Amino acid sequence: MGSAIAMLTALGAGFGMCFATAKAVESVARQPEAASKIQTILLLGCALAESTAIYAFVVALILSGK
Amino acid sequence: MGTADLIKIGISIVVFVICLVLNIHFKGIIKNLGDDVDKKTLKKKKRLKKLCFTGIIISIWFALGVFITWFSGKHLGTMHIEFSMFSDRSTVELLGFKLGETTIYTMIIVLIVTILCLLFRFLVFPKFKEKPEGFQNVMELCVETVESFCVDATGKKAGKSLAPYMFALAIYLIFSASFELFGLRAPTSDLVVTFSMGLITFVLLNYFGFKKLGIGGRFKAMGGPMVAMRPIMIPMKIVSDIAIPISLACRLFGNMLGGMIVMELLKGALGGYASGIPGIAGLYFNLFHPLIQAYIFITLSLTFIDEAMEGLEE
Repeated sequence: MGSAIAMLTALGAGFGMCFATAKAVESVARQPEAASKIQTILLLGCALAESTAIYAFVVALILSGK
Repeated sequence: MGTADLIKIGISIVVFVICLVLNIHFKGIIKNLGDDVDKKTLKKKKRLKKLCFTGIIISIWFALGVFITWFSGKHLGTMHIEFSMFSDRSTVELLGFKLGETTIYTMIIVLIVTILCLLFRFLVFPKFKEKPEGFQNVMELCVETVESFCVDATGKKAGKSLAPYMFALAIYLIFSASFELFGLRAPTSDLVVTFSMGLITFVLLNYFGFKKLGIGGRFKAMGGPMVAMRPIMIPMKIVSDIAIPISLACRLFGNMLGGMIVMELLKGALGGYASGIPGIAGLYFNLFHPLIQAYIFITLSLTFIDEAMEGLEE
């Protein structure tokens, strides 16, 4: 039960990644020549946003008592 | 072996033979067609040949799956998942220390990398020329990319001294991620290994910070420009610095463990038929994803080191 609640944090990570990707798509549409640079930054930002979900995942694993 | 298994094997043998005969048949047709055919019929025949080839592979896979299921007793859909959060520490004991399996794999990786380095040093390096060509180009490109990456992130002096460590870290992370493709547990899916790598980053950032700014300067930079706020800001900054290795370690560990669990689930769900498919899925979960994580680990380490070297703007 506790681990299920902990995994709710994935919601936040999902929203964060969705905002980041939306902005990246917007800026690529506005400035296609900067696409490679934006892609690198997007990758890094997405990974940082993802890390919240990963912390939740680790906590859930610890709580589930494996 | 029951009758159902025999029927399955019979079906796969029949499909195999039909596809093999058709494949040879189409091969002969394509050879005899010559040059004066329009491209459309040629394309159609080639597509049929490819379809037959796919049929051969699928029938072999199916027969193999039936055999493995019969030998191991792992049926399709029955989950056999074996996974533990921390690696097994009971098998190997050296000088009174109980070594985990990931520690052994780490040592194997270090051995492989050392042997490769020695081979490169004594067999490949003497053949290098002034004008790079072939393999020398690749190596020079790797070294120069990492060095320019480090210099861009942390400045010229620190970047040059950090580049070898970062290159070694990248090679180690890539090797350990590809270890999982062989069905072994990746060393980075152990919290001990990732935490020790995070601690190295912590030591490095403190070393470069104190070296550049001095002890007083570092604490001043931590406190910020306002003198009255410093007693509150410095402890907060110290706590956030201590959180760096923990966050780095948990990020890498969680990613690798997540990939491992997905692969274990796939293998468990497929049972005896788990030949071929997990290998293809593993290219994403065990190779591409860890590569991105290695890139992120290095970038974040460099960013934190750069942040620690930033002084107050006068």
